[in-house]
Amino acid sequence: MFGRKSKSDHPRPDENFEPYEEFSGIPMPVYWIAIALAAWGAFMLYDTGKDVTLAQDERVEERAVQISADQGEGGNLFVANCSTCHQPDGEGLRGAVPPLAGSEVLAAGPEIVARILLRGIDGPIRVGGDDFDGHMPSFASALNDDEISRIASYVTLTFGETDAKLDPKRVADLRHEVGDAGSFAGGAELATIVTSMPPQPPHPAPTAADAMTATVQDLVFAGRDDVWACASCHGDLGQGGENTPRLAGQPAKYLTKQLNDFRDGTRDNESMQIVAAGLSDAETAALGAYFATLRATSNASPNLSADLARGERLALQGDWSLGVPACFTCHGSSGFGVAPDFPALAAQHAPYTASQLAAWAGGGRQNSPLGLMSQISQALSSQDRRAVADYLASLPPVPAGRTASAQEGTSNAE
Amino acid sequence: MNRYLPLSILALAILAFATLMLVIAPGIQIDARNVPEGLRNYTQAEQNGRDVYVAMGCVYCHSQQPRSPDQAPDGERGWGRPSVASDYAFDAPHQLGTMRTGPDLLNVGARLPSEGWHLTHLYQPRAIFDWSIMPAYPFLFERKDRAAPSDTVVTLPPAYAPESGVIVARRDALDLVAYLRALDRTYPSPTDALRDDGYASGPAAEDPNASEGDS
Amino acid sequence: MPVTLGLLLALSFVVSLLALAFLIWAIANRQITIDQHDAETVFEAGEVRGDAGEEAHPHRFDPVQAGIDQISARPVLVLIAAATFWLVAGSVFGLIASLKLHWPDWLDFAAPLTFGRMRTLHLNLVIYGWLSQAGVASVMWIIPRIFHTPSRRPQLIIWGALLWNIGVTLGAVAIARGWTDGEEWLEIPWQVDIFLAAGGACFIAPLIQTTRARQVHHIYVSGWYFLAAILWFPVLFVVANLPLYGGAQEATINWWFAHNVLGLWLTPLGVGAAYYFIPKIIGKPIYSYAVSLLGFWGLALFYSQVGIHHLIGGPVPTWLVTLSVVHSVMMFIPVIAVAINQHVTVAMNLWALRESIPLRFISFGAVMYTLASFQGSIEALRSVNTITHFTQYTVGHAHLGAYAFVSLVMFGAIYQILPRATGRVFPWPGLLKLHFWLVVIGFAIYFLALSIGGVLQGLAMLDATRPFRDSVEVVLPYLQARSVGGTLMTLGHLVFALNLLGLAFMTRDESASTVAAE
Repeated sequence: MFGRKSKSDHPRPDENFEPYEEFSGIPMPVYWIAIALAAWGAFMLYDTGKDVTLAQDERVEERAVQISADQGEGGNLFVANCSTCHQPDGEGLRGAVPPLAGSEVLAAGPEIVARILLRGIDGPIRVGGDDFDGHMPSFASALNDDEISRIASYVTLTFGETDAKLDPKRVADLRHEVGDAGSFAGGAELATIVTSMPPQPPHPAPTAADAMTATVQDLVFAGRDDVWACASCHGDLGQGGENTPRLAGQPAKYLTKQLNDFRDGTRDNESMQIVAAGLSDAETAALGAYFATLRATSNASPNLSADLARGERLALQGDWSLGVPACFTCHGSSGFGVAPDFPALAAQHAPYTASQLAAWAGGGRQNSPLGLMSQISQALSSQDRRAVADYLASLPPVPAGRTASAQEGTSNAE
Repeated sequence: MNRYLPLSILALAILAFATLMLVIAPGIQIDARNVPEGLRNYTQAEQNGRDVYVAMGCVYCHSQQPRSPDQAPDGERGWGRPSVASDYAFDAPHQLGTMRTGPDLLNVGARLPSEGWHLTHLYQPRAIFDWSIMPAYPFLFERKDRAAPSDTVVTLPPAYAPESGVIVARRDALDLVAYLRALDRTYPSPTDALRDDGYASGPAAEDPNASEGDS
Repeated sequence: MPVTLGLLLALSFVVSLLALAFLIWAIANRQITIDQHDAETVFEAGEVRGDAGEEAHPHRFDPVQAGIDQISARPVLVLIAAATFWLVAGSVFGLIASLKLHWPDWLDFAAPLTFGRMRTLHLNLVIYGWLSQAGVASVMWIIPRIFHTPSRRPQLIIWGALLWNIGVTLGAVAIARGWTDGEEWLEIPWQVDIFLAAGGACFIAPLIQTTRARQVHHIYVSGWYFLAAILWFPVLFVVANLPLYGGAQEATINWWFAHNVLGLWLTPLGVGAAYYFIPKIIGKPIYSYAVSLLGFWGLALFYSQVGIHHLIGGPVPTWLVTLSVVHSVMMFIPVIAVAINQHVTVAMNLWALRESIPLRFISFGAVMYTLASFQGSIEALRSVNTITHFTQYTVGHAHLGAYAFVSLVMFGAIYQILPRATGRVFPWPGLLKLHFWLVVIGFAIYFLALSIGGVLQGLAMLDATRPFRDSVEVVLPYLQARSVGGTLMTLGHLVFALNLLGLAFMTRDESASTVAAE
């Protein structure tokens, strides 16, 4: 024996003993365990089959929602997307929304209509002898090629009395051609491609330039020695992405308040606190004013796989059984925001909206007026938070000029 | 058992069967999927950056596989929609990862597209997040007395800035950031998508008031 | 599409179940089988009569007299020496990586010192440098003994060890310099893997030759595990390292390999060694041959298909994940079988734990195998995995298997082998106990810290109302505790190395040491 020695009564094992196995049977419980596990395994397999079908259906459905494949005629699409402003009869609203019926633009054919749907209009426009302050959002992200082609064809047929059909493939080409061109600069730019239009009022210099001082330009696009440029995360047009929020078209005062809150530590976000730390009151106000004037097509999509119908119900009606009011009672009838305190929600990125609701629910964010958002968020379940975020992401963005015209001034009272 | 040959043949046959099930069958199934619309191959700089990502071992703390909202709140954290097999068509070696000491990065380019932010964060993560436990990568940068016109200067809060001169990014750092910015799978998932759907919950089974995130 | 694959999935599970059922049936009916197909059956006629065959098989054999140990000794010593070196190196890297998680600004001036490379070095050195070589050493020691014949081609084994260690060294240098294949467990560049493959071939050939020249009819259970493992591992290693794959498919191969390295390589080495040394040291037979069979074939059937549970919730087909989840849970069967055989034998002979320090290591390791496997099965359940996946909990579990089980069995095996291979004794037996308590206490701290911290981390991450920051901050104190545990374990390894150095270089003083051993 090497290195081992026994002091006990037990016989010390022999170095030459060879390991071997006895012939006992398998204990009964082992059989039972094996049978139970086999049954469980079989059930798991059955269950998985159901899950796969379910998830596959969900994906197809989601894809359909993301592309908004409305199978109805162009008329349904018109009612759903256009009639709120242009009215079901296409007469528009006197002094506010140009009529479609009898418009010179429609006479130019469905392709022009598709271009307008893709780009939106931002600037004065003269239709049927009347001047309008043109503020039409872009539907580029809200509608797919097929839908745009059907709306354009429907609108020109119904109001322009031209029965030219537009091919979805042509819309795809247009979409490509339009690219990031942004909104039409009022009727003036539109007239360059629609020769039949009457003389158009001059387009004022872009409103963005008003708020665009040299300081703001530096902060937004170049950053400073110790802070990054706003645009480097929020995009050149303030469009954001995922949980980096869209800033374009938010009420100026809301944005200014948030920047001041980051600076004071009232709102928590490490990166934004660094950015805001070096900003003066004048700068936060100027930045708020600048982003309020920006317009960008929606790049948000309902990507949280939540129940859109539930989201729509919460946004439009709220859920009184939970004590949750409709989002739109405060944030405006289309979620475009109400200056100065209520930010725009439409076309906001779903992960951002959901993460903010979660932060309010968890106490990570507490800077809403009267603590309203904390109460509301705590009442919402995780599915509800995602549902409403998804629904809001599916809406078209704040149309041009919607809050810019309601500019609440650059004074900030926070 | 007393015979070697049957033992080895059976043992190898079992492994061959497992290989068929775990390697060959899924391989065939995944290969049959097209590259999704919206996914493009990496540019040379992005691929170089990816090589830096691999060589630095980022994968040991960062996954690249957002989970489904039915399972975890990855989407709400901005990590993106649940990823599917074809999202990785251009990824070799794969960097799916099994740890989330740090956040998932499959869509970091969509939520944090700022080159400046990433350079600061790589140079010293604690300059931004004082609670971060991510390594700093000072060796991807160099200090210069004065930046040349072609240099990318790193934005640094005063506490982390050098006493004199500036910190500029080396090529590896710039490529790595190019790769991070290219991490963006926010296009819609293809309808023939392949992923683990084992957590799918139908609308019927869903109880809106019972959720893990409820407080 | 889902229909056909669903069928495939069901088929795979049914095949495994049928195989298991057949096995149990075969065991239950062995008498009949024996009578009818005596020559073809896997059961030996003498064995059926059990202890009645005692006279024919006295279960006694003197390996020293048969000249077996003398031949095995050199290659075994070479392998153990190299393994110990890599153990110490690997633990130091592991400790550095652990410390870096809570001292992130420590040692950050050079790329080779960054966390991602320290951790990779740790993993590769302990897997390929330490565990594989220590495991091969015990195989080389045990196989000739149970086959009653000297090892064939011992010189080739030494050449194999040389090639293997060149491979591990080059792999370590490559990883430190940032040259890596980039997948967990497969980081060593495939060009360097050629050395490992060549080294491995030099281990396998002599083992097969020795097996074919064996002087016993029946193959003892350790032999099954070892012989299967040395066939499985090369297949896994070569297939997984082929530089052919990409994307999500590569991920399935990655985890098929990574888990099978544990399940079909390290586990058989550890279980086989425990199956040999436990009865050997105690001097009592294993409880049941039938249960051994169940344990071995159950492991082969179920463990080979569990790898994809590392990708639960990921971008791989659902059926594949479910297949792995189901097989992970089925692992209860072989694990219970091994537990019955090994723990019952130890539990009925507790006195031996006091007697033998090697047995203490080995039976502790064997118990950890049971726990690690149970934990693994439960962790693979979708509901549990949602919390533990992506957290430090998984790291704790990996160490329960690779460290508390395989490494501890190997410590015990080496302590048991070395005096017999060298004819010397350990000069400081007290240090053997110190080693045991350092690694056991260190590991207990390590494991508890990561398990608790990991669950808290996972819960924080699942709660959308808590920022990601919470998941980092909540686990931080547990990471610090892990470093404490890791430090104790590393100290234990230094003591282990010291014991081996003492054995090699101190003059023999038998009387003093054997007394101190108690």
